[in-house]
Amino acid sequence: MRKNTRPRGVLGIVAVAAVIALSASGCTRGGTNQGGGSNAASPGITDSSITLGITTPLSGAIAGQGTCTVAGVTAYFGALNAAGGVKFGDGKTRTVNIKSYDDGYDPQKSLANFQQMVSDNVFAATAGLGTPTNRAFREAAISQKVPQVLVMTGDPLFSDRKQSPWQLGFVPIYQNEGAAFGKLIAGSGQPHKVAILSQNDDYGKGYVQGFKDAIKGASNVSVVGEQTYEATDTSVDAQLTQLASSGADVFFDAMSITPLAIASLQKAQQLGWKPSWFLPSNTSSPAAILGPGGAAAYPGIYSVSFAKAPQSPAFAKDPDVVKFLADLKQYAKYPDMPAFPHCMWSYMVGATLEQAFKTMTEPTRDSFMTALRNVKGLQAPLMLSGTSVDTTTDGQPAVSSVLVQKYDGKGYATVQNFG
Amino acid sequence: MRNPLSAKPLSVEPQSVKPVATGNRTVRIVVLVLVAVVLLLAPLNLPPFANQTLVRIGVYAVAVLGLNIVMGYTGQVNLGQIFFVGLGAYVTAYGVKQGWNILLVFVLACLIAGVVGLLVALAAARLGGLAIAMVTIALPIVGVPLAKRLEGFTGGSQGISARFTDAPDWSGLYNDQWQYYIILLVTAAGFLLARNLVRGKYGRAFGVVKENEAVAASMGVSPYRTKVLAFTVASIFGGASGFLYLAAVQYTSPETLSFGHSISLLAAMVIGGAGSIAGSLIGGAYYVLVPLLTNAVDPGLTTVSQGAILLIVLFLLPEGLVSLPRVLRRITGRNRDRPGAPQRTVPAPAPGAGSEKQADQHQTEHQAIPDQTDQQQTIQHQTGRQDQA
Repeated sequence: MRKNTRPRGVLGIVAVAAVIALSASGCTRGGTNQGGGSNAASPGITDSSITLGITTPLSGAIAGQGTCTVAGVTAYFGALNAAGGVKFGDGKTRTVNIKSYDDGYDPQKSLANFQQMVSDNVFAATAGLGTPTNRAFREAAISQKVPQVLVMTGDPLFSDRKQSPWQLGFVPIYQNEGAAFGKLIAGSGQPHKVAILSQNDDYGKGYVQGFKDAIKGASNVSVVGEQTYEATDTSVDAQLTQLASSGADVFFDAMSITPLAIASLQKAQQLGWKPSWFLPSNTSSPAAILGPGGAAAYPGIYSVSFAKAPQSPAFAKDPDVVKFLADLKQYAKYPDMPAFPHCMWSYMVGATLEQAFKTMTEPTRDSFMTALRNVKGLQAPLMLSGTSVDTTTDGQPAVSSVLVQKYDGKGYATVQNFG
Repeated sequence: MRNPLSAKPLSVEPQSVKPVATGNRTVRIVVLVLVAVVLLLAPLNLPPFANQTLVRIGVYAVAVLGLNIVMGYTGQVNLGQIFFVGLGAYVTAYGVKQGWNILLVFVLACLIAGVVGLLVALAAARLGGLAIAMVTIALPIVGVPLAKRLEGFTGGSQGISARFTDAPDWSGLYNDQWQYYIILLVTAAGFLLARNLVRGKYGRAFGVVKENEAVAASMGVSPYRTKVLAFTVASIFGGASGFLYLAAVQYTSPETLSFGHSISLLAAMVIGGAGSIAGSLIGGAYYVLVPLLTNAVDPGLTTVSQGAILLIVLFLLPEGLVSLPRVLRRITGRNRDRPGAPQRTVPAPAPGAGSEKQADQHQTEHQAIPDQTDQQQTIQHQTGRQDQA
């Protein structure tokens, strides 16, 4: 469409003349433009290779998680490339190249990185972490018809097909996690009084909404206290004191700040309030949060997950985990035990992409999106049994099923019932 | 430039300098026209990514320019410039969402940022030195949670997108080219205004306040008013930069005004050249290009390589990249003059030396002040400048 509206009037003539003048230097727009015909291959894919781009924070406060998003995908395709490549749906075998770009969690930089990806002939952007950084180039990706898929954000916008035709989120949206816990409590059959503390933004609100929707109509669950805090607050002692006085036996703590999560685990003990806790997946690390917070004092700490935890002794000999750790070490220069679940998630992103590659019948972005939206029941490596990749439902990310897990003093174990 | 320079040849050696001045003037006009033509035609020939990069350079050049007016020219530490950029961006996003006329939105973005800057400055400029820095630090720190909480205006922590820079059909241009022209227009106007400001009487007032507030007061220049003015002008430029930010990025979120970016802007200003109009443009280019460069080197080591570049530039060119031609000239000049006159290598021009016209305006600025002052103040001013150096 863009191409057709271009040469018009005097400016068009000037432009064409200039393009001719510069064509010797290879600096023309035609070189970077999208292919014209419908059968022509999209940029970034040849008969022997395909190039994917990741813009993610590799510096700054969340560089650890960001580095993991690159490492997982790189490890997955590194192993496949070493074995010869991926056999695509059009019958050709291609190697998969990953280009990574640091955005430092700065939206302006992630847009710049996206523009560079387009100029670097990247086929699709994938696996990048961060809501603002992904939102910053969402519209540009739509208008240029570049896939921005399996990104690491719990923002539901990316899974809304009408608004985001070239996007797809990977990780469960916040509502999915809250709903999983709500369902567990509602199904317990026992009377429970729930206190809720949530971050006053889309993150906290998403959790609370999912939870409340799940307990709607369950007569055994009542919400007796609700408080919020700001992501920039340094203490939630006041809110905890108030919630403790409500006498709740279940505490739904939708928190994304690590130090605050530790402090609240400690503060509630000081107040003599010992409910069962629910913590979101990214503030439930046994080593970083539950240990320092003295979580063993509580009757139960619940969280949700869909990935096998390599740290957990239960999975130490699991073949998925063994291969994952070996791939990380060999192909992604990541020799340590992954500190963040994002490493596992982006490894699964690799498996999901491979599935889409296998079924895309033409080397085009259109065909890729069609194939990607048709992955169902894929048990990607490292996924807990009972969860799977399903990209066919509008409004849901690629992984929407999570399992509730309970802290057992060392790691987490999946539970079916509350209590 | 016309003000101090055209005054100078008339007072000092009028006969010998004047013909040179007119010759330079023609050359300058030719160069200006050439630059204008290149700037106008460039986007039609460049690949989209180059245009998009130039667009972002324009955005940050305006922000750095504002920072330069308050810090480089007036010497007041401002660590909150990104707050005004973010404010301008939010005002623009809100205005576009409401469907207001885009010119009105632009004026509002500048005006609201300017008014907020004025209010802050009225209080902050009463404080001396580091206290101003503390007040300005508070701006982005307050701004981020405020942007998250005022969801009705800002879209909360998910941010707000607004598209208004898609090329209209009649133009026959690509979006990136259209954006380029919008940003070229605003940036060029901003630089022209800033240049006139710092070279006129306000610029001289800024310079005196920077050097010595007591001298300024004795000359009848109110340091307080001058600081408030500089701060307000910087905020207006911040707001304009925010408008351009939205024109280029089409999205803003609380992350836009996080404090770290303010420090990056400051670094860009120092790297480009404090107290220099051209340095602001270089600073904007630095802000945008270095992350691209370090990404190309190794995306996992961007912070380290950016720090290394910062250190190297500051060690080799403590006055910023804008001083590169001068330093080169000094080095080559030293080699040429070695047998003859080594004293030629001293860079500081004598006050009133009309032939130093081509020296960058940072020096011109300093030269301009003595003309206006009596003998005693000239001496004091020079002493202050040597201390600085």
